[in-house]
Amino acid sequence: MKKRLIYAFCGVLTCAITLQSCEKFLDINKNPNAAENVDPKLLFSYASTSYINLRSSGDLYIPMALGGQSITTGGNNPTGWGIPSEEQYQFSTFSYGNTWRAYYTSVGANLKQAISLAESATPKNNNAAAQCKVLLALVVYEATTVYGDVPFTEAWNTGISYPKFDAQQTVLNGSIALIDEALAQFDDASALKISDYDMFFKGDLAKWKRLAKSVKLRTLMTMVDKDPTKATQIGQMVTEGGLVSSAADNFKVGYQAVTGKKNPKFAINEQYNGGRNFFFGSKYVVDFMRNLSDPRLPKFFTKPVEATDYFGIEPGADGDDKHDVRISNTLQAADAPEVIFTYQEELFYEAEIYTRGLGVGADLTKASTLYKKAVEESCKFNGVDGTTASTFANGLPNLSTVPAPMALINMHHWVDKMDRGLDAFTQWRRSGPEGQEIPNLSLPIGAPAGKLFRRYEYPTTNEISSNPNAPKELVKYNEKMWFDL
Amino acid sequence: MKEKFTKFLVLLFSLATLTTYAQQKKITGTVTSKADGTPLPAVTVTVKGSSLGTQTDGDGKFSISVPENATLSFSYIGFKAKEVSVGASQTINVSLDADERLLNEVVVTALGIQRDAKALGYSAPQLKGEELTKSREANVINSLAGKVAGVRVSSQSGTLGGSSKIIIRGESGLGGSSQPLFVIDGMPIDNGAQQISTVAGAVPQGSAGADFGNRVGDINPEDIETMTVLKGAAATALYGARAKSGAIVISTKKGVKGNASVTFNSSVRMDDILKMPEFQNEYAQGVQGTYNIASTNGWGPKISDVQDKTFPNFLAQDVHLKAYDNNIKDFFQTGKTYINSLAFSGGNETGDYRFSYANISQTGIIPNQKYSKNNITLNAGKTIGKDFNIRTILNYANSGGDGRPVQSSNNPNVIMPLIYGVPRTVDMELLRNNSINPETGQQITLTPARNGNNPFWVIDNNNFSNDLNRFYGNAILSYKILNWLTVANNLGLDYYNEFRQGNTRNGTIGALTGNFFTANIFNRSFNNDFIATADTKITNDLSLKVIGGANVFENYYQRNQSDAQTLTVDQLYNFSNAATVTTTNTSNKWRMVGLYGDIGLSYKDYLFLNVTGRNDWSSTLPAENRSYFYPSVSSSFVFTELMPSNKWLNYGKLRASWANVGSGTDPYQLAFVYGPQSTAFAQYGYGSQFPFNGLLAFSIPSVIPNFNLKPQNQITTEIGADLRFLNNRVKLDVTYYNSKTDDQIIALTLPQSTGFTSKKMNAGSVTNKGFEVALGLVPVKTNRFDWNFDLNFSQNKQTTQLPSEVTAYTLQSGWSGLIVKTRSNESFGIFGSAWERDPNGNIVIDPATGLRKTKLDQRLGSINPDWMLGINNSINFKSFNLSFLIDVRQGGVVYSNTASSLRTSGLAKETLANRGNIFIDKGVVLQGTEYVPNTVPVQSMQDFWGQFSTTNTEANIFDASYVKLREVKFSYKIPSSILGKSAKFMKELEIGVEGRNLWIISDHVPHVDPEVNFFGPGSAADGIEFNSAPSTRSFGFNLRVKI
Repeated sequence: MKKRLIYAFCGVLTCAITLQSCEKFLDINKNPNAAENVDPKLLFSYASTSYINLRSSGDLYIPMALGGQSITTGGNNPTGWGIPSEEQYQFSTFSYGNTWRAYYTSVGANLKQAISLAESATPKNNNAAAQCKVLLALVVYEATTVYGDVPFTEAWNTGISYPKFDAQQTVLNGSIALIDEALAQFDDASALKISDYDMFFKGDLAKWKRLAKSVKLRTLMTMVDKDPTKATQIGQMVTEGGLVSSAADNFKVGYQAVTGKKNPKFAINEQYNGGRNFFFGSKYVVDFMRNLSDPRLPKFFTKPVEATDYFGIEPGADGDDKHDVRISNTLQAADAPEVIFTYQEELFYEAEIYTRGLGVGADLTKASTLYKKAVEESCKFNGVDGTTASTFANGLPNLSTVPAPMALINMHHWVDKMDRGLDAFTQWRRSGPEGQEIPNLSLPIGAPAGKLFRRYEYPTTNEISSNPNAPKELVKYNEKMWFDL
Repeated sequence: MKEKFTKFLVLLFSLATLTTYAQQKKITGTVTSKADGTPLPAVTVTVKGSSLGTQTDGDGKFSISVPENATLSFSYIGFKAKEVSVGASQTINVSLDADERLLNEVVVTALGIQRDAKALGYSAPQLKGEELTKSREANVINSLAGKVAGVRVSSQSGTLGGSSKIIIRGESGLGGSSQPLFVIDGMPIDNGAQQISTVAGAVPQGSAGADFGNRVGDINPEDIETMTVLKGAAATALYGARAKSGAIVISTKKGVKGNASVTFNSSVRMDDILKMPEFQNEYAQGVQGTYNIASTNGWGPKISDVQDKTFPNFLAQDVHLKAYDNNIKDFFQTGKTYINSLAFSGGNETGDYRFSYANISQTGIIPNQKYSKNNITLNAGKTIGKDFNIRTILNYANSGGDGRPVQSSNNPNVIMPLIYGVPRTVDMELLRNNSINPETGQQITLTPARNGNNPFWVIDNNNFSNDLNRFYGNAILSYKILNWLTVANNLGLDYYNEFRQGNTRNGTIGALTGNFFTANIFNRSFNNDFIATADTKITNDLSLKVIGGANVFENYYQRNQSDAQTLTVDQLYNFSNAATVTTTNTSNKWRMVGLYGDIGLSYKDYLFLNVTGRNDWSSTLPAENRSYFYPSVSSSFVFTELMPSNKWLNYGKLRASWANVGSGTDPYQLAFVYGPQSTAFAQYGYGSQFPFNGLLAFSIPSVIPNFNLKPQNQITTEIGADLRFLNNRVKLDVTYYNSKTDDQIIALTLPQSTGFTSKKMNAGSVTNKGFEVALGLVPVKTNRFDWNFDLNFSQNKQTTQLPSEVTAYTLQSGWSGLIVKTRSNESFGIFGSAWERDPNGNIVIDPATGLRKTKLDQRLGSINPDWMLGINNSINFKSFNLSFLIDVRQGGVVYSNTASSLRTSGLAKETLANRGNIFIDKGVVLQGTEYVPNTVPVQSMQDFWGQFSTTNTEANIFDASYVKLREVKFSYKIPSSILGKSAKFMKELEIGVEGRNLWIISDHVPHVDPEVNFFGPGSAADGIEFNSAPSTRSFGFNLRVKI
C-alpha cells in the first residue's frame, strides 16, 4: 500500500513537471501591452505632438526666446522668470539634451519608421510617406540650426550605431532633398494618406505641397548668404510659385483649453506663477512697435494699468509691474496654437528675395508690396481686424524711401516671430553678418562677458559620451555655425 | 494555560494532536546541542558492544530497540561523544557538548540543504539571528553591513522603510543591478524595488522620486534563525540563473522540543540626522551682494553691514536682517522607532510550532514622515508516522509609510532643496507657523515665484504614501521512502499588493492646480521544487549523496496607475474631482523550468567532492536559445585530520571550486513593438495627454530589440582555506575568487541620433577578482570575562571588457552630463564634465572671466571601494555584554548634488572665503602655446562658486572612503540569582542599550553622509547623491524577556 502511494506520488509529480516543461508552457513571451503592427498615422500623431511640445516648451521656446532676446525675464521682478537664467546664458543641460532627444527619437525616429511602414505597405501609402518626409525635413532643418553640424546621412539607421556628424551644409541640402523626394512622391490619385491623424491639414495634399515648397525656400534662404549659388534655385522657386499663398496654408497645431492638453507656454504660467505671465516684453520688440503704434501691441502684450504706453525692458533688467509690459496671456492662451510656418513668413522671404535680387531681378516696388502684405497678414494672424491691419500696413514706408530696406524687412520679420523662440533666433542670425544683425542686440545684463548666444551646445548624455564619432571639443553656446556669417 | 495555548495554536493550523509513542524495550529520545538546545540531526546512536544502531532524524529524534541494561553511545561530528546507560525509562534525551577541537557548524546551503561546514568547497559564511538583531533595523539588509567579507550594503536614502542594495563580490552585471537571490526556508522571495514615474513628474531620464523600499524590507528580522551568504557560483549553482549574483539563504526560527516559551522583545530608539550640512551665518539672500526676497541663497548682503536698513521678509514685513544659525537644524525633529515582537514557540517528539508577531512603528526626522510594519509568522512542523514530515511556514506582512520624501528633481515636492535652500535670515519657527494663510487658505510661499514652495506646506499637505500587504509561505512535504532515499516537495507562493499614492495640493508652486496619482502594484511568484535525495555508504569510508530535483518558477507583475490633474475641490483626492485622469497599465509574466542534480562524495570525513549540474529553460529567451546547462564542481580537504593532533593548528581545511552559471533576461525583450502613448513630453512636466485633438498615439520602442539573444554565462573559480589555531582562539579564513560574466545581455547605449536610446545585445564581460579574509581572535577568555574580536576584510577588483567597437558602456544616465559607465579594462566609474587641465595637471582658467574651463565626458573615479573592512568586538563580563562594529570603506568616489546646491547657492560655510575680496583662482591660462600662471581675478565669489553647479561634475566629486561606528550594543542579562522567585517562570531577562550609525569617525564628503546610493537597488550604478533624504543615527533601549 505504502509503495503504491509512493509511486502514485512520484508519478503525479513527474507528469506535472514533464507536462509543464513542455515548450508551450514557456511560450509566453509576447508583450500584452504593445502592438506588433500599427498604422503609420499613429506614429505620425505622436511625432507631431512631440514636435509641437518641444517647440512651445521650456526646453526650446524659453531658452531660445530668452537667449535670442525676443522676450525677457524681468530680472529680479518677484513674479518674473528670475535671473540668472537662460537670458544670462545659463542654459540647462536638460534643454540641450531634451531638444536633441525629441528631434532624433520621439519625433525623428517615429517619422522615419512611419515612412518605412507606409512605403512597405501593400499597397504603398505614398502620401503618408511624403507627409512624414516633409515633417522630417522640418525637423532636420531645425536640428541643424539649433546645434550646427549634426548626424544626418547616418542617423536613424538601425545598422549604424555611431552616426557621423555631417557638416551643416550637407544637413541642409539633405533636408531639401527630403522635400524634393516628398514632392515627387505625393500622389493625388491615391486615396491613401494620413488624413484624420493629420493635425495640420487633415490630409489636404495641395496644402502639404505648398508648405513643402515654402519650407524648402526657407532652407535655401538660410543657406544663401554662405552659399550664394542657392540664389538661382531661390529665383526659380519664386518664379514658379506654388508656395504657401494664404493664411489657410499656415502650418500649425492648436492646443486645447483642457487640462493636460494646454499650450505649455500657458501651462507653465498657470502651474508655477498663478496664471501670471513670467515674461516681459523685450525693448527691442516693444520700442520698435511703439514707435509705429503697431496695432499688434495689445495682442502681443499686457500693459500695466498705470502705464502710459507700451514699454519693454532691456534683457536682464528688472521689470516694473507698473510700467513694463508682460507677454499677453491671450497670445499665450491655453488653446493657442503652436505655429511652425505662416503665410506672412513666406511673404517676408519673397520681399527679401526681390529686395536683394536673389535669382530674380531686384524689384523694390514688388518687395514693398510683399513686405506690407506680410505685416498686414501678421496683424490679422494676431487678431487685428482686417481694416486696421490693412491701414497700418499700407501706412508703412515704401522700401525705396528707406536707407536700409533689408534692415526694415528683417526687423518686421523678426517682430512677427517674437513669440516663436527658435524661428526668431534663426531669423536674427541670418539677418546679417556678426555685429550687423537686425536688431542690433547687446549682451544681456548679467550675461558673462564675451559674445552673444549663437547655438545650443551638444548634449553630453544623449549623444557625445556614447558616440565615438561625435566631436569631442566643446563647441560653446556663443560660437557661430556654418550658415551664420 | 500555556499548554492550552500551545494546543490551540497547533490545532488552529490543522496539525494533529501531539501524541507520543511508547513501546516495550523501545527507547525514543531527542538529541540536542547543549549550547543552544537545537535538535541535532544525523547523530549516530549505537548500542555499545553490538552492531545495533540508528541515526537521529531531521528533528534530532531517534528510536531504537535495545536489550535490557544496554548502554547507548551518541556520536556526532563536532560534538563530544557521550554514553548513556538505559535504565527504566523509555525516553532518553541527550544533550551533547560541542567539541571545540572540531568545527561543528552546520550550514544551510542552496535549496535548504544542511551541510557540514567542513564539507563545503566554497565560502558560505553564516550569521546567527542574534547577530542581525544586535542593533535592530527595519530593513534586515542593513544589518549585514560590515559583518560579512565581500558583502557591500548601501541604503538608497534616509527614508523610513527605504530601500537598500546589497552587492556580493562586486557588481557582475552590465545590464542591471546584481542583487542576490533571497531564499527563505527554500522559497525564493521577491526583492523588487519598483520604480514608477508619474505624469506630473515626468522626466525623460532616470528618476527615483520617493523611495518606496525594496521588498526584502518586509521580512521580520526577529524570525531569522540563520542567514547564510552564498557568495559564489559554486554555492548557488543549484539555484540556477536567478542566483548568479549570489544568494542569501534564510532559515527561520522553529519551535524546539520542551516547554513552550514566550519571548518578548521591545526596543525604543531615537533618531536624528547623522550629518548636518555646515552653513555660513553671515550673508543674506540676494544677487551679487544685493538683497532679493526672490532668492533662496546666500549671495545677498553681509548681514552685519546692513543693520541700518530693513528688508521685506517672506511675510512682507520689513525687518532687520538676522542670521538664524540653527534654522535648518530646527526644521528636523527627533525621529522615534518602536520595535516590539512577541513569539510563542514549543514542540514535542512529533511536532513543533513557532508563532510570532512583530511591529515596527517609526516617525521620521522630517515631520509627518511615518512608517510601520506588522509581521505575523507561523512555522509549524509535524512528523506523521516515522517517515513523513510536513512543515508549513506562513508569513503575512503589512508595511507602509506616509510622508515619504520626494527626491531627485522635476517635482515641486522635492523636499531637501527646499529645506537646505532656506536662507540664513529665515526663522524656521516663523516659517513653520506661517505656511498657510488663515484667511485665504493659500500657501504663504518663501519667495514669490516658481521656486518658492514653503517646505512646511509641502510636508503638511503633499503626502507620498504607500501601503503593502504581502503573503508568502511554503509547504514542505518530505517522505523517507527507504532508509537511504528521501523525496521532498517544497511549494511556495509569494504574493503582494502595494498601493501608492502621491498628493500635491492645489496651491503648490509648480502644480498650482493640484494633482495626485495612485498606483496599484501586484506581484505574484510561484515556486515549486521537487527533490529526491539518496544518501548511502559505499564503503565504510566512502559515502555518496545524490540529489536530483526539478524546479518550476513563474512570476507575474501588474501595475495600474492613474494620474489626476487639476483638482476642483481643495484636498479632495478623488478622480471625479479632477479635470483629467490619465490611466496606464502594464504587466509581464515569465517562467523558468529547471532540472538539477548534485553528486556528493565524502571520504573518511576529511575529503569531500561535489559535482552539480543544472539545466534551465527560460521563457524570456528565443525558443532556440532558451535551454542552457551549467555545471559546478567543488571540493574540500580537512588536512588536519591526517596530521597528529597539535596545539598550534587544531583545524585546517583547504577548499576549491569551479562553477558555471547561465542566466536569461527580462520578459519581452525580443520583438519590435509599438507602445501606446499616454503623454507627449514637454519640459516642466506639462506635456500633452492623449487623446490629443481627439487622436491617439503610438511610438516605436526606445530600445532596439534583439531576436537572437542567448543566455549570459558566468564562470567562477574559488580557492580558500579555513584554519584554526590555539584551540580555536585564532581563526583565519581566506578566500581568493575570480568570477567572469560573459555574453552579458545588455542594453548598449546608443547615441540618440540613431533614433533609439539603446540596443539589446550579448556583449561584454565583467570580471571580479578578490581576496576575502575573516580573522577571529579570542584574546582573553576566562570564566567571567571573554573578548571576541572579529575582523573581515575584502578587496575586489572589477574589470570590464567590451567589444572593440564599443568605447564605453553606460550603466546609468544621471543628470547634467553625469553618467555612470565603464570602458574596457576599467571598473564601473562616474563620468562627467571636468576641469580642463594643462599637461602638468594645473587647472586651466579662462582669461576672459577668471573662471575655470571645462572638459566634457571625463572619468572621475570608480564607484567601487578598493577595500572594505569590518571590525567587530564583543566583550562579555559576567552577565554584561558590550559589542561594537566599526565599518571601513576605502576608495571610490561619490557625487553629491546637495554639496553642489549648498555651494552654488552660497549657503555652505566654505563659500564665506574671499567674499568681497579680489580672488584669483589657482591655475594657468593659455598664452599662445604656453600655459602661464593665472592672474585674472573672478568677478565675484558668486561666479566662482557658480562653477560648482551640476554642469561641472568634477566639482562635486568626493572620495567615498569612510570609517563609521556602525553598531553599538551594551546589554545585561539579569542573572537568576537576582531574579529570585521570578526565575521560576522567567527563563531569560535582558536589558540593553543599542545604537546604529552613531558616528562617522572619518570621511571626505562635505555636508552629506558619504554612504549614498541614489539609484537604489535596481541599478548597477552607485555613489550618487541627488537631493536624497538624509540618513540618521539612532540610539535607544532594548528589553528582552523569555518565559
